[in-house]
Amino acid sequence: MKTSLTFALAALVTASIPMAAHHSFAAEYDAKTVVEFDAVVTKLEWTNPHAHFYVDVTDANGAVAHWNFELASPNMLNRNGFTRKSLKEGDKVHVTGSRAKDGTTTASTSRIVFPDGHVLTMTGAQQGK
Amino acid sequence: MKKQILSSVLALASLGATVSLLAQAPAGAGATKGKGKAPAAPAAPAPKLPDGSPDLSGVWTGFGSNAGDISSALKPGSSVEMLPWAVDKMKTLKSQDDPQANCMPSGIPRGNPYPWRIVQFPTHKAATHIWILYEGNIHSFRQIFMDGRPHPEDPDPTWWGHSTGKWEGDTLVVDTMGFNDKFWFDYLGHPHTEKLHTIERFRRTDMNTLEMEVTIEDPGTYTTPFTTVGRARLMPGEELMEYVCQENNIDLEHVNAPAQLP
Repeated sequence: MKTSLTFALAALVTASIPMAAHHSFAAEYDAKTVVEFDAVVTKLEWTNPHAHFYVDVTDANGAVAHWNFELASPNMLNRNGFTRKSLKEGDKVHVTGSRAKDGTTTASTSRIVFPDGHVLTMTGAQQGK
Repeated sequence: MKKQILSSVLALASLGATVSLLAQAPAGAGATKGKGKAPAAPAAPAPKLPDGSPDLSGVWTGFGSNAGDISSALKPGSSVEMLPWAVDKMKTLKSQDDPQANCMPSGIPRGNPYPWRIVQFPTHKAATHIWILYEGNIHSFRQIFMDGRPHPEDPDPTWWGHSTGKWEGDTLVVDTMGFNDKFWFDYLGHPHTEKLHTIERFRRTDMNTLEMEVTIEDPGTYTTPFTTVGRARLMPGEELMEYVCQENNIDLEHVNAPAQLP
């Protein structure tokens, strides 16, 4: 089981998932407002038109903020080796994204570093596509 | 012994991989650039159905316009010349009102990130129907009548209109009218009226490549017809997957911005 998980994650090392969306990235997110956190996954929402994962981010004072990170759609994620089992509640990840322009704790995911160091990147609109 | 067989199999497999990679190299240039994990198919001529007509079937990615702004995907000599009402309307459009962002069909010639499949039926003689099955935006289909029937006199306006097709040599020419005025041609919201009439030309130039030209006539919006160009790439071994956009479209609540490029 551990081997297959490692193998699945290894496949993600080079995974660069097209984030191209059914809506304009630039209308929702500010590519210049990059957010980056050590975070704990609370939920993966495996839905269309986009999957999302939710994390808790604890600051130096112990205050916890809840963030919503948008992913590509499940069909595109599946095609690139990211499955509904790739993130689960309790996982500790280092996540990077572009924050929503409306100032809410919402972001478009650009990079996830998993606990074992494997990296998943998203490409697409935020790269100026 | 087992080990020997295994290594022979592996050697053959790797030889096969090398050969197919070499075979792909010349045709791959330009035709196979793109995303996805599926390997490019070997270079081969475009296939034919038993009756001799071109076989366009397969899963494709790419559209008649792959641009966020149709005016950047035009055939040389074409230009987008709008009537004043359309110029004014585009200035008022909001990104959150884009029909595609609201899980409505993309329309013609707009692209989206998802693959689609061409199905010709029947396949043992000249096809009477061609269907285009869309995975995304939205999970829907077009039907193109190949049996020579005319367009109806006054059809109810619809998202995909009424399409008839015929072969001109190896080019599938699809004539469509009866559109509604609801979809946008691109992320900027280039509009149209119910007078829209499109002529699409699909030509499979080799196994991997579908060249597309879409001529757009809409005297209600544009002073002159124009033609977009696009290209689709075959996704060998790929299958359509489910994509029901309406399921959880929660992102739009964060969007309040003018219509703009992706």
